[in-house]
Amino acid sequence: AVLRRTSQVRPLHGSGCGQQQEAIGMETRPETFSIFRTQENDPACQSEQHLGQYYTVPPSHFHTVFPHGLPPRYQQQVKTFNEGCVMVRQPALELISHLKRADYSKPTLRYLLYGVKGSGKTMSLCHTVHYCSTQGWLVLHIPDAHLWVKNCKELLPSSYHASRFDQPIQASNWLRNFRTTNEHFLSKIKLRQRYVWTKRESTEEGRPLGELVDMGVSRVKSSSDVVGAVLKELRLQAGGTEGGFRLAVAVDGVNGLWGRTTLKKEDKSPVAPEELTLVHNLRKMINNDWCGGAVIATLSQTGSLYAPSSAYLPQELLGEEGFDSMDPFVPVPVSLYSEKEFESCYLYYLDHIHFHHWLQHPHSQTEEGKKELIFLSNRNPSVLERLCAFL
Amino acid sequence: MAASLTGLLKPWTPRVLLVRWSRYNPYYLEPEPRKEVYHIPETELTPEQKEERELKSVRPIKAATNSVTSSVFNDPVLSKFVNMMMKDGDKIIAKGIITQTLENMKRKQVEKYHKAPEGKKAEIECNPYAIFHQALENCKPVIGLASIQKGGKFYQVPIPLTDNRRRFLAMKWMITECRDNKHRRTLMYEKLSQELLAAFSKEGNVVKRKHELHKMAESNRAYAHYRWW
Repeated sequence: AVLRRTSQVRPLHGSGCGQQQEAIGMETRPETFSIFRTQENDPACQSEQHLGQYYTVPPSHFHTVFPHGLPPRYQQQVKTFNEGCVMVRQPALELISHLKRADYSKPTLRYLLYGVKGSGKTMSLCHTVHYCSTQGWLVLHIPDAHLWVKNCKELLPSSYHASRFDQPIQASNWLRNFRTTNEHFLSKIKLRQRYVWTKRESTEEGRPLGELVDMGVSRVKSSSDVVGAVLKELRLQAGGTEGGFRLAVAVDGVNGLWGRTTLKKEDKSPVAPEELTLVHNLRKMINNDWCGGAVIATLSQTGSLYAPSSAYLPQELLGEEGFDSMDPFVPVPVSLYSEKEFESCYLYYLDHIHFHHWLQHPHSQTEEGKKELIFLSNRNPSVLERLCAFL
Repeated sequence: MAASLTGLLKPWTPRVLLVRWSRYNPYYLEPEPRKEVYHIPETELTPEQKEERELKSVRPIKAATNSVTSSVFNDPVLSKFVNMMMKDGDKIIAKGIITQTLENMKRKQVEKYHKAPEGKKAEIECNPYAIFHQALENCKPVIGLASIQKGGKFYQVPIPLTDNRRRFLAMKWMITECRDNKHRRTLMYEKLSQELLAAFSKEGNVVKRKHELHKMAESNRAYAHYRWW
């Protein structure tokens, strides 16, 4: 039955699955073979006419640009479908247009993506990160700041500063992923300062950044200090005129940096976030006292500690301290799917050319089933994804 | 009569009374949850349907249970399976396990589909509901055994089974198999999806158990005449 359906629908593909009116208006892109996909895989060239359509991240870029940072369910979806498709949505396009027109000689602008749970903040962040990496920026992507303030098995007292704590595992993991993302920058950037790690080890001035990162990955004990050093170097060199690069700091779950942690010292007293080296250095990055880049952050209630589940506004999740540090920022609200976006998502899951009907239930392919999906998910992207997974 | 009335005069009555499990008067009619029945216009009703509608307008109707929905995705067999898997009335966890199972089965089949060569693609079934129903069919025994006493001894006598009994046995075997014979660290949905996919292709422990039951029934053929119904 399935094979018969594929052969029936194939001749309809030139007209985009039967939606003739919109296809006539899109003659300028002769190779569009579906209404919900676009061939424009470069985020820089995407514009309002691509709103609601899916573009494919080229498989060669996929592992370099996103070694970490994608939501876990999306990673599963990429593995099953053998392709990574991202929907072009309004918040991401707005962010990209801001990034295109910003003045990089002025202090950094901070953008904050906020919205209800499951509305697509992390995916918009990843879309922007893809844009930054295609434009040749250096991307500092912290997949989830909450991972650094909870569930840490090893907390070492820092060698550099007496009252701070190091997190060797998290720091070395992050450095490994950082190395994968920014291979080509590691040899170009030279250090401007001498760093001494122990009595016998030091990194001289003028050595490439790659050496510092390799050292941080291999010597796990000093990896948090290496992270601090890397961040400092990048901050100093980002706006430079000779060999200057643009730095994009993408932080997911930025509300974890202010607030409380679940970590405890040996005498069972709670650890404040300032006492963690990684958090301390990251906060310095988010301050807008450097120029030549942008800070894109996302709020997240899902991983957050001691925050009510209905909270999604910046004021509620960041708290007073966080809001004062982030202020002034450009807020970018991420809303649930509009009707057009929902249509597009539904057709994507129904697509039978690429992955044999992700929506398998016979009733889900009818109008009744579609209305029911709208009702059950309220057009929330993550809820819709979970529903379509078992239907 | 006085005794039953004093039983009802309690100092506290619960806010929500369980209505559905009480024994209804046979005068009450069953509810109709399906939407399509109500969308048929007046003119297209057959005389029986018209009569039924008139009857429903005068007779009282039983309350519908919580598990019955008018949703298009409502599946009575799947609901029964969820109820059988439920422990301590925790249907959320049971339903969660089943949805994870269906998703897992779909993912495995879709990945298998992508890796398969062109000729074999059509044979791979990706619909988890179809796989579930077919697997359950493959696990249903055709004939069962009953313990009948004759002359002081108990004999295992082969007997025909009703549809409900067969479906119950298939589900029961599937659930006990997945609960008992799994590694400590395997999650229920993982084991269940493996067993269902195996049963779909007529392999696995549950179909083996069905075959063993059939063999026992075959070997006890001689006692078939001990059955008197």
